Amino acid sequence: MNEVLFEGERLIYGNLGHLAVVLAFGTSIIATLAYFFAAQKPEEKNWEKIADSAFYVHTFSVLSIVGILFFIIHQHLFEYHYAWQHSSRELPVQYMISCFWEGQEGSFLLWIFWQMVIGNILLRTAGKWKSPVMAVVMLSQIALTSMLIGVKVFGYKVGSSPFELLRVAMGNAPIFKRPDYLSKIADGNGLNPLLQNYWMVIHPPTLFFGFATTIVPFAFAIAGLWKRDFTGWIKQALPWGLVSVMVLGTGIIMGGFWAYESLSFGGYWAWDPVENASLIPWLILIAGVHVVLIFKHTGNSLSVAFILILTTFLLVLYATFLTRSGILGNSSVHSFTDLGMSGQLLVFLFVFVILSVGLMVKRWKELPKSAKDEEIYTREFWMFIGSLVLVISAFQVILTTSIPVFNKVLGTNMAPPADVIQHYNKWQMPMAIIIALLTAVGHILKYKKNSGDAIRKIGIWAAVSLVIAVALMFAFELKNWFYIGLLFASVFAVIGNASLLKPMFSGKVHLVGSSVAHIGFGILLIGVLVSSANKQVLSINQSGMQLNPEFDAKANMEHVYLEKGKALRMGDYEIEYRKDTTEWVNNYYEVHYKKIKPNTNEVEYEFDLYPNAQINPKMGLVANPDTKHYWSHDVFTYVSSVPKEKGESKFVHPQTYEVAVGDTIVTNNGYVLLKRVNSNVKDGKIDLANMQLLIAAELEVHTLDKVYEATPMYGVQNNAVAQFESIVDEAKLRFKFTNVNPANGKITIEVAEKDTSGEFIIMKAIKFPWINLVWGGTIIMVIGFTLAIIKRLRDLTRKNS
Amino acid sequence: MKKSSIIIIILIAVAIGAIVSSYGDASTYENFSVAAENPDKEYHIVGTLNRTKEKHYDPKADANYFTFYLIDDKGKESKVIYRAPEPQDFDRSEKIVIIGKMNGEEFEASKILLKCPSKYTENEVKGS
Repeated sequence: MNEVLFEGERLIYGNLGHLAVVLAFGTSIIATLAYFFAAQKPEEKNWEKIADSAFYVHTFSVLSIVGILFFIIHQHLFEYHYAWQHSSRELPVQYMISCFWEGQEGSFLLWIFWQMVIGNILLRTAGKWKSPVMAVVMLSQIALTSMLIGVKVFGYKVGSSPFELLRVAMGNAPIFKRPDYLSKIADGNGLNPLLQNYWMVIHPPTLFFGFATTIVPFAFAIAGLWKRDFTGWIKQALPWGLVSVMVLGTGIIMGGFWAYESLSFGGYWAWDPVENASLIPWLILIAGVHVVLIFKHTGNSLSVAFILILTTFLLVLYATFLTRSGILGNSSVHSFTDLGMSGQLLVFLFVFVILSVGLMVKRWKELPKSAKDEEIYTREFWMFIGSLVLVISAFQVILTTSIPVFNKVLGTNMAPPADVIQHYNKWQMPMAIIIALLTAVGHILKYKKNSGDAIRKIGIWAAVSLVIAVALMFAFELKNWFYIGLLFASVFAVIGNASLLKPMFSGKVHLVGSSVAHIGFGILLIGVLVSSANKQVLSINQSGMQLNPEFDAKANMEHVYLEKGKALRMGDYEIEYRKDTTEWVNNYYEVHYKKIKPNTNEVEYEFDLYPNAQINPKMGLVANPDTKHYWSHDVFTYVSSVPKEKGESKFVHPQTYEVAVGDTIVTNNGYVLLKRVNSNVKDGKIDLANMQLLIAAELEVHTLDKVYEATPMYGVQNNAVAQFESIVDEAKLRFKFTNVNPANGKITIEVAEKDTSGEFIIMKAIKFPWINLVWGGTIIMVIGFTLAIIKRLRDLTRKNS
Repeated sequence: MKKSSIIIIILIAVAIGAIVSSYGDASTYENFSVAAENPDKEYHIVGTLNRTKEKHYDPKADANYFTFYLIDDKGKESKVIYRAPEPQDFDRSEKIVIIGKMNGEEFEASKILLKCPSKYTENEVKGS
């Protein structure tokens, strides 16, 4: 192939970027090895110095990668594949940040970035644990940075570089034979419209920060096994574990909130494999943190604590493999593309599995174990049971999510359950009931020994909760026994934990962290329960008319056809599609809601919703819902279909009026005033050369709330009449200036209305009662975690000094 | 017996239950012939759209009624009824996964997954 000199490419940035990637990869290897030797031979101080310097260079190179990639996206350097594929010129700056995590390379970069930040914190706080812990963190950093290298080794592509050139990535396209190809590429591919949402700016960084933090408890556990300090690691790992649970949980629920606010599947959780993949490690981590607490207070269950903490990080890697290898292809709605790196991901997974299992087996006999049998009336016993239930719950999710993996390995032909939601609910609801009950029981009991007093308290609070639950059962009209059981358990979780808030009133707020977190969990469960049990599809066809000959009584007619300007009764609401507006690339459809009192037909309240749809040239219609939030319920609406193309506008009912200046014409939605008749028209668009006459009618078009201008014109051209119509889209009117009557000085104006019968939307509306409890419970949980973290950090500093 | 042993036994029993359940609930990827033999069971069927036959969606008459013809991977064709609006981007799909069961001569799909090759990567550079 001849060398072609390409014009206008700014190769320096890509070269710098590549250099930074290689440097980051190289320094992570050096740092890993040096920290390893520093941990093995603490007396040789030089290893630690080498390691620290390598880590500083590593930090600098990771920051450089991020900076250069952002520069390339921000400056629209479309010679780079990443910028071309994920961004476009008109993209607002805040969404340029989202471009980072649209691509696989960028999301690995995000993870690398967070792990680097965490490394910098550990460097300063880990004390004597620094070398062994940093060795593990940097080992994981080797794995992640190698995902960005993008070189071929023995014909196998290692990693995928975010700095690859467009002409290299798509080498076969003929356009790249031209030296000036770059001037022909006007714009990039643009960001997936579903990601053009503010939640997508903050949800991925939060989730990836959560993923990244799971390395810390893992690294401390490995270090503990490695250095045979089987108990010392706990103190430092615990606050990190709590941070991890909090951040990962927030990230997961933010993802749910994003799905609820901007996806049109109508809910916040769909048991999609990608969601499950992040849920599984979270459940195991929660179990792990609880077992670590059991060990801390009683000295029992250390080996289980090790296993759970180690498994959490391995499951994060497994989740990455599931979502990034393309193996979920047929089972997930948002399957990610396979960049051909599933082999590489598997290698990392195995390296860390072998490391963890190997060390566990090697040290198993040395692990301190407690021989005595557990007492039943203790907190640790029920905490342990609760943790096991969490493990089973995670196990069940992992099994079903891994069906595509089993197919690959065993050669079977299984598909996920046809009714996924029902399959998971069947398992997860009983687990949730048990866990909710145990949060109250376990918390009221004390560690080690309990008097009859604690058991009496459990009985009293359970009775109080039962009364409240029965009242709520009637209020929410629950009939399913599982729901009722879960309602009682969740109420008990809230009440039982609330009974432990006493220290708060004596100013010791930091002591109630775990009670607050568990109260939040209980509220969250109630929210999930009520919003899904009493979820109501409002848009069910209620006309009673049999519209289709093949109509099936059981069919769920959940979408309504809504013609513009025609109100429709939908349950207790009357809805009307009023107009649509276009902003940037989005079409907003104004739907007016009136809540009608069932008995009196009075209008209780009204509101407008603006569900939008982007007619994306690459993805077709991308719908974003709009939701009206009330404190007790949400009304959720999205557009599921719109007319394919807006045809030529048709105008109907033309009427002519003879008017003089100052006269008005009444229209169907307002009136029109003839301001003046201008015979000295200078319109650049009309060639005046052959015009014998050109006069314009200057009209003021008043609609209900706005005033527009229209200037239809009348001319005589080569002795024939020429009319120039004027259309006011917003008012849906067309004006023609059809005649002049010199005798009385009046002119004739024709007014026609736009035909809106072809304009419709098909939409679905859902009412979610008490969904605010889901978000409120989450916020309370986060507050509780924050208090608990503060308490553990205080413990840490107190014991260190 | 120690309590921990009892707990472990219960744990194993529940785990086996979970395995059996996810195996039992699992649907399978099949073709129309198998689905026709077992009209009560729900299947996943992977196929391609028959573009020579007309798909039907008339929102004004019924916004919740969409039919089309799908050819499964064995080459057998069947009419598919989907009681929801036509999925956007339907025509651009390369592969279609339908989930549901056979009802006489027609397949009642409760869910449709579309596999569009260009959804996340557009591998075509357009010059201007």
